[in-house]
Amino acid sequence: MSNINGKVYAMNAITPMKPWKTWILRSFFFLLGHVKPLQKDLIDLSFIEFARWVVLPRNGFPFLGNGQVKEDLKYDYLLFFSNFNGTWNQYIDAFSAVLSKGLNLVWRWSEKFPGSVPVTTFKEYIARVQFDTDYYYTAYPHATANDVKSAHVVQSSLNQLELLAEQCNPQQFADAYLRFVLQVQSHLGETGEAPIAG
Amino acid sequence: MPNKNGSVYGLTILSPIIDDARATPSHDLQIRNYLAKLSTREDSPFALAPATHLARLVVMDDVIYVGAPACEEHLKSKYLIFESNCDGDLDGYLRGLADNIPEHLDAIWKHCVGYPGAANRQAFIDYMKACQLDTTFYFAAVNDKSVSETLRALQTQTAVADFIATHQGVDAATLQQEFIQFVARLKSLPLPRPGSMGPHRDIKTGGRNE
Repeated sequence: MSNINGKVYAMNAITPMKPWKTWILRSFFFLLGHVKPLQKDLIDLSFIEFARWVVLPRNGFPFLGNGQVKEDLKYDYLLFFSNFNGTWNQYIDAFSAVLSKGLNLVWRWSEKFPGSVPVTTFKEYIARVQFDTDYYYTAYPHATANDVKSAHVVQSSLNQLELLAEQCNPQQFADAYLRFVLQVQSHLGETGEAPIAG
Repeated sequence: MPNKNGSVYGLTILSPIIDDARATPSHDLQIRNYLAKLSTREDSPFALAPATHLARLVVMDDVIYVGAPACEEHLKSKYLIFESNCDGDLDGYLRGLADNIPEHLDAIWKHCVGYPGAANRQAFIDYMKACQLDTTFYFAAVNDKSVSETLRALQTQTAVADFIATHQGVDAATLQQEFIQFVARLKSLPLPRPGSMGPHRDIKTGGRNE
């Protein structure tokens, strides 16, 4: 079992929902997907590399025959998979503090969801519905979401300076280089192994 | 359905695991045993095959009962969850897995109901699609860069930091000349291997991180 690889944590959670409520949740996700300003807090949190919610209808579990017994369920299920930086406690605390309204809109349709505030009961609920990851891979374990965003800023700025470097005189280049340094200076944070838990 | 966000594809697969009382150990445990020994670094199967940013494999034993007054119910099968965040179109990605790591795919999915093997590419792709779930909402912090582009950018970021640190106060002509050489050298470097931690650098951090 390994929920952690380098600087990323893999969270899996599954919660039951009464089937009639899943349509409300689907509508909310439709809005969230199409009205980008609604995603602002999620983007600003900036420690989630990838996350997804999957509404799984009670009759939607893959059925392949070959001796498999068909599921017979009363609830639809909400699956949540997140790839985030930092620790479990930091993640849930930040979620609860910054995204409490959004989280409530996502999980209030799930059975026995206590609300994302206060954080203590929210953590108890998440701990109950979470299940562990058997295998977790990341192509860049030493980098956080912010590192990746910053690295692309540096790469893009470098590409622009490179175009200029061949064409201008030394003084013009020195001026452009100074502008480049100002542009990238806040994007040069160190990557490497994650701090050791203790 | 929003399985894609920008150029990144969010693949979710749920494969029913064979339930055979005569199997010892049980098929789900055999999957877990195999996954426990699988590398998560440069020689991970997902590093050897192209286009995976992050991926996980999870054996889901059952749904979770949250307590009364909710109804208690249970699954009739255990499921293997494969969650991947990858580049490109789904067929191309699955074909890339089947071309590069067929032995790993077979070792894991042979414990799942109806798995046809990776040797028959089309049957493999059809099987994976039959087990696929549509994502309801998919978020990606960076949704327009491939794995290679991100590895290259991370390499560039480190090199640029070092270049800036070692070229403070250098005269304009030397700076320009060394910058051109630096960019040429950077471009000639091999791409960091997916799953690697990159060059070792001392870390100056401390404190609790639980």
